[in-house]
Amino acid sequence: MGLLTRTRESAPCTVTISHRFEELSAHVKFNNGAKIYAGDSVLVEGAEIMAPYGEIVREDRTAIITRASGLERAWTRLTGDLEFMELCEFSFSEEVTL
Amino acid sequence: MNVQTPEALNGHASGTALHGTNEEMTSEKATDVAMQDTLLTPRFYTTDFEELDAINVETVREDWDKLIAGMVADPNKGHFKKNEDWDTVDWDGMEPALKKEFIDFLISSCTAEFSGCVLYKEMKRRGSNKDITQLFQLMARDEARHAGFINDALREAGISVNLGFLTQQKKYTYFRPKFIYYATYLSEKIGYARYITIFRHLDANPEYRFHPIFKWFEEWCNDEFSHGEAFALLMKTDPNLTQSWQNKLWIKFFLTAVYGTMWVRDHQRPVFHEALGVDVTWYGMEVFRKTSEISKQVYPFTLDIDHPRFRKGLDRLQDANVVIAEGKRQGGIMGKLKTWAGTARAGAAFFSLYTIPVVHNDVPDSPMMAPAY
Ligand SMILES: [Fe+2]
Ligand SMILES: [Fe+2]
Repeated sequence: MGLLTRTRESAPCTVTISHRFEELSAHVKFNNGAKIYAGDSVLVEGAEIMAPYGEIVREDRTAIITRASGLERAWTRLTGDLEFMELCEFSFSEEVTL
Repeated sequence: MNVQTPEALNGHASGTALHGTNEEMTSEKATDVAMQDTLLTPRFYTTDFEELDAINVETVREDWDKLIAGMVADPNKGHFKKNEDWDTVDWDGMEPALKKEFIDFLISSCTAEFSGCVLYKEMKRRGSNKDITQLFQLMARDEARHAGFINDALREAGISVNLGFLTQQKKYTYFRPKFIYYATYLSEKIGYARYITIFRHLDANPEYRFHPIFKWFEEWCNDEFSHGEAFALLMKTDPNLTQSWQNKLWIKFFLTAVYGTMWVRDHQRPVFHEALGVDVTWYGMEVFRKTSEISKQVYPFTLDIDHPRFRKGLDRLQDANVVIAEGKRQGGIMGKLKTWAGTARAGAAFFSLYTIPVVHNDVPDSPMMAPAY
């Protein structure tokens, strides 16, 4: 990881989407143990994965991980915390007047 | 706060049937085609997983095991089912303004539940401490169930969620473990207080219950209550988290920010609250009161919500928010100036709220509570 340079790597991954009444969830798992750090970006290649209602879909894909540069990583670690409001379990939207 | 509002609905037919394999179109999928699509856009987080793994729950073992056993027993497993209490909803007859705000409420609630699930699942997968991974696995299960339940209510309204965000570029935001505790603890407890306040109000005034989903809020919020209990215990494992003066400042910051955001957001849905027969200002204060009372289990102080500057500060925050929104809508240089002026006012209002002296509280040894509000 350079101070200013980003690197890219690809990782095999499994995408699991549950679009069922009892569970709405989605997850990407890297099968080579790749780990994601602050500021990294992940792009799962290929067409959109759609799970029809009532089904669970599992697909093996390739993900491109763009590793953040040292500077970006430091910046994300410093500022990421300020985005914490998104975690709040109460509902709100961006619009001030709907 | 990257929640899709109804305005942002793509409006195109859901891709479900289009992207599907060559299976035959079932009637379920056929209805999908005519549905409005809304893209869920949760955020992705990363944290210091080594720090998380280093947590040792031995000091709170007894309470911990009791809590986990309760979650493993999963008393709410059968609760999230539609039964005869789920009366038919007259979506077409609903007043358009109410429908818009209510759908916005459902979509943003669904996104919040879903985001919680994504975060908890990630923590479960990256961790190796058995106590911690088990807890996050159980909480991810609950949030996925909550999200699925809201999703179903949305489908009845002709809205389908699109999970296509997975194949879009996603940047991972960093969150220090202790900030995850402070923020999610509050978010779970305030979530509980919000759901139970609406439930109790509608229980006493059923004529305002314009949708059956509110009947499910009571057991629902018990899940959120236990999630909050788990974070309270996690914070108990390291006294420094709630006792050092820097951390006290952080706790105060999170309390102020969470209360302020909730106030502002709720005031954006006047029609929704009116339909519920709820005065939004009363509701906000009631939720703060419950949340403050609960948070005494672990935080050494509460915000002084009865201080004269408190309500004033919240109202100023709300006014500033309206100015910012106007500026954004206006655009151009004048719009920019307006946005800046609004931001400065919001900052001043926040500062005023943040500097109100806190109310001291003696924290009990064992934080465990029953959801009795
Ligand atoms: Fe939830
Ligand atoms: Fe929760």
